[in-house]
Amino acid sequence: MLAYVTRKLLYNVPVFLGIIAVLMLALRVNDPVWGKLGKHASQEKHDEEERRLGLDDPFHVQYFRFLWGFGLSAECWDKPGRTVGAELGDAIGPSLAITVPALILTTILSLGIGILSAYRRGRMLDRSLMGLAVVGMSISFLVYIIFGQYFGAYKLNQWRDKPLFAIQGYDATQPLWWITYCLLPVLIGTIVALGYDSRFYRALAVEEINRDYIRTARSKGLSERSVLFKHLLKNAMLTVITHVMITLPFLVEGSLLLEVFFNIPGMGKTLITAINAKDFPVIQGFTAIFAALFIASNILTDVLYALVDPRVRLS
Amino acid sequence: MASRALLLTLLLASLAPAEKVLRIPMETDGPKSLDPVRGSTTYESIVCDQIYDCLLRYRYPSEPPTLEPNLLEAMPMVSDDGLTYRFKLKRGVRFGDDACFPGGKGRELIARDVFYSWKRMADDDNQPQSWWLLEGSILGFDEYRTAQNAAATFDYDAPVEGMRILSDHEFEVVLLNPSPIFLYVLAMFQTAVVPREAATTYGTRFSRHPVGSGPFRLAKEEDWIAGKSISLVKNPSFRDELWGGAGGRSGAESPPKEAAGAGGEPRKVPFVDRMQITFFVEDQPRWLEFQAGNLDYVTVPAEYFPQAFFKRTKRLKKEYADKGIRDHAVPLLDLIFRAFNMDDPLLGGYTEEKKALRRAIHLATDLVEFNDVFYNDLCIVYDGPIPPTLEGHPAQSLLGKPRSNQGPDLDRARAELEKAGYPEGKGLPPLEYWTSQGGNSKEQTELFQRQLAKIGVKLNVRLVDFSQLSEATHLKKAPFFSFAWGSDYPDAENNLAIFYGPNESPGSNFSNYKNPRYDELYRRIKRMAPSPERTKILEEMRDILIEDVPYIGSMARTRYYLSSPKVRNFFPTETYWTWMRYLDVER
Repeated sequence: MLAYVTRKLLYNVPVFLGIIAVLMLALRVNDPVWGKLGKHASQEKHDEEERRLGLDDPFHVQYFRFLWGFGLSAECWDKPGRTVGAELGDAIGPSLAITVPALILTTILSLGIGILSAYRRGRMLDRSLMGLAVVGMSISFLVYIIFGQYFGAYKLNQWRDKPLFAIQGYDATQPLWWITYCLLPVLIGTIVALGYDSRFYRALAVEEINRDYIRTARSKGLSERSVLFKHLLKNAMLTVITHVMITLPFLVEGSLLLEVFFNIPGMGKTLITAINAKDFPVIQGFTAIFAALFIASNILTDVLYALVDPRVRLS
Repeated sequence: MASRALLLTLLLASLAPAEKVLRIPMETDGPKSLDPVRGSTTYESIVCDQIYDCLLRYRYPSEPPTLEPNLLEAMPMVSDDGLTYRFKLKRGVRFGDDACFPGGKGRELIARDVFYSWKRMADDDNQPQSWWLLEGSILGFDEYRTAQNAAATFDYDAPVEGMRILSDHEFEVVLLNPSPIFLYVLAMFQTAVVPREAATTYGTRFSRHPVGSGPFRLAKEEDWIAGKSISLVKNPSFRDELWGGAGGRSGAESPPKEAAGAGGEPRKVPFVDRMQITFFVEDQPRWLEFQAGNLDYVTVPAEYFPQAFFKRTKRLKKEYADKGIRDHAVPLLDLIFRAFNMDDPLLGGYTEEKKALRRAIHLATDLVEFNDVFYNDLCIVYDGPIPPTLEGHPAQSLLGKPRSNQGPDLDRARAELEKAGYPEGKGLPPLEYWTSQGGNSKEQTELFQRQLAKIGVKLNVRLVDFSQLSEATHLKKAPFFSFAWGSDYPDAENNLAIFYGPNESPGSNFSNYKNPRYDELYRRIKRMAPSPERTKILEEMRDILIEDVPYIGSMARTRYYLSSPKVRNFFPTETYWTWMRYLDVER
């Protein structure tokens, strides 16, 4: 197993180095220094600033300098006195406070709905659930957020004596802070993802439900609950793991729209603010970290495959 | 016994006045830095103007914006030749308490703090964003900057010929040339006075650990939550500064009734215990928070304007007025325009044919339609580069008058196009038009294309990032481009500077406009104090630009504010931000 993991790690090192090189080149297509300097810039000031930031160094020098610590100790252009690492450290908690519960809730609910739909395939329940899923998928994420915030927080609070959900904000020092600030965004995020995931898991369950091992299990007289949740679910686990693992890097990235509308100072909001402000070190650092997480989640997926299915290890 | 003590404590706590909190929205992800020399935007100004003090400030409220002493006992004495300014600081102004001072007790602000703070603007290690404010103004300061930045260490104690300390509370500044603009600079937050102890103790952390002499302070660094909010508390060692009542402000005329304290008496600033500033990137949460009563004022987002106002009359709707909500229209010092590169072989030049071509494009452009479609009709369309409320802004529209180029006047536009040698646009290649992408700029460009197509002028649009646009204009690569300029201070000189010949690219004269008469007039107004004679010159410069057509314009936005019935002393402006220190709220 250790050899397997080591092999996977080594395979991905050149991939990562390549991604970082492409990323750094892409970010340098347009001269970032002009964006930083603003309306009173002169060519002289530009050259001076470029020199100070080390952006006039040969690309390979900048490349290796960046690899040494991902530029986390670099100062944000948009927030002097604050490092990229501090931005990342402060933003990751709020992002995870929303995305992790949303992922868990979505996976449990959509897996349940998918299996139930597949079990009742072609019947009224299946058609209703999948109809709802299609309707849910057809509505923009932004509409859910705008209406969710308006009715779920603003209007609901008007109807109640005591506000339940905050319209916006994030304060982990308050009692019941997670319910006040995070539950509504989590519910909105879950509802949005439910349509896609339910249809995906239903398709998976329909495929599995027609296999020989399900028929064998039924002929042996096992209960339907045991057939569905012990046998079917276990065999579908590779696909479930792939589906969940592929979303892991996005958890850290946060949900940009939710964070922006609910004023949650997470990774997505931090990154989009940095992009708008042309905060080059933050953009470069965050995207590199994101690339690393993506590769790490791929490796983790492979490891989980090997744990769940020994045949993977042997191949 | 213990239960009695507890009861007494609870009773006393219930009798203590509740904390007065002013809840303010900020339409961004927050300021970049709270070090004055590293800040450059409105958002830094909003916070820094509460924490620090400048030598001068704007009288609040005043229309037009009028300067008055802040850290000074009186306005500076200016020598007859307009070169020497003599300043006298107020006594007893103290920096807020902070660990950087011996014993943690803030000391008195004195003359050398002023020069130290200005010298920080010259030190490249501080990454100053606003050296241009003092560049070329004080005798020997530019040379000092060059020498010190070239030296191994920046010596803040090295002398500058034009900066003379006379005593702890008196100093003189000698300018290179007479400049009334210098006084405006002294009211800008970038020139605010900071203590050397704080800047040296905290280094780059000073950006996030401000220490000033203003009415509010950041009690601890954690009170600034990145991307979320910043909480400032009353500075207990703030000097006895009164506001309201007849004598509340230095040199103030009769203040508005509302500004007076109980019984019309002036009261000590600040009036609230805490200022809670929340950052909003999106409009909806900000608007809903105001509606829910969680903010004391709000700027009305464009898409919510019809919800609160009648679009045609711009009057507040009854349901808002009935709640005691008040509206305030604030004209901004904006110049939204489309500039020609005057060095471009096709669009530039000063011959009658070239002017006719640019005039034709101007006359075919309908800014009123842009205003209606994209700005909810909230902009002011005006002639010339001088925004509303400033001297030199045309009191009445020049529309329909011979020198106005405001469109749409398609007959005149076609005639001018023919005069330029391109009847009905024949023979004129598509014009390369650069604009920055984002927002609704694509839609704006489509409307612009449609308007110009009516006279046979085609556009080849380059939608680019702002950095690309900036680079292209600096390198004189963009022949025709959109741009916006927000005045740095309330004087027309700031806007007229962007057409001053020696400022050509990579300076702020991106259109590379050169007119000897205009340049000569610019040099004159730069040295003149406001006067009817100066206003006449401003108008002449404006008319020269209208005649030469180096740009298509102009538009300035009007911002609408709504304030809650609980907020007091609210007379918003976006020319300066010290007014927030005078706000009060009902508990």
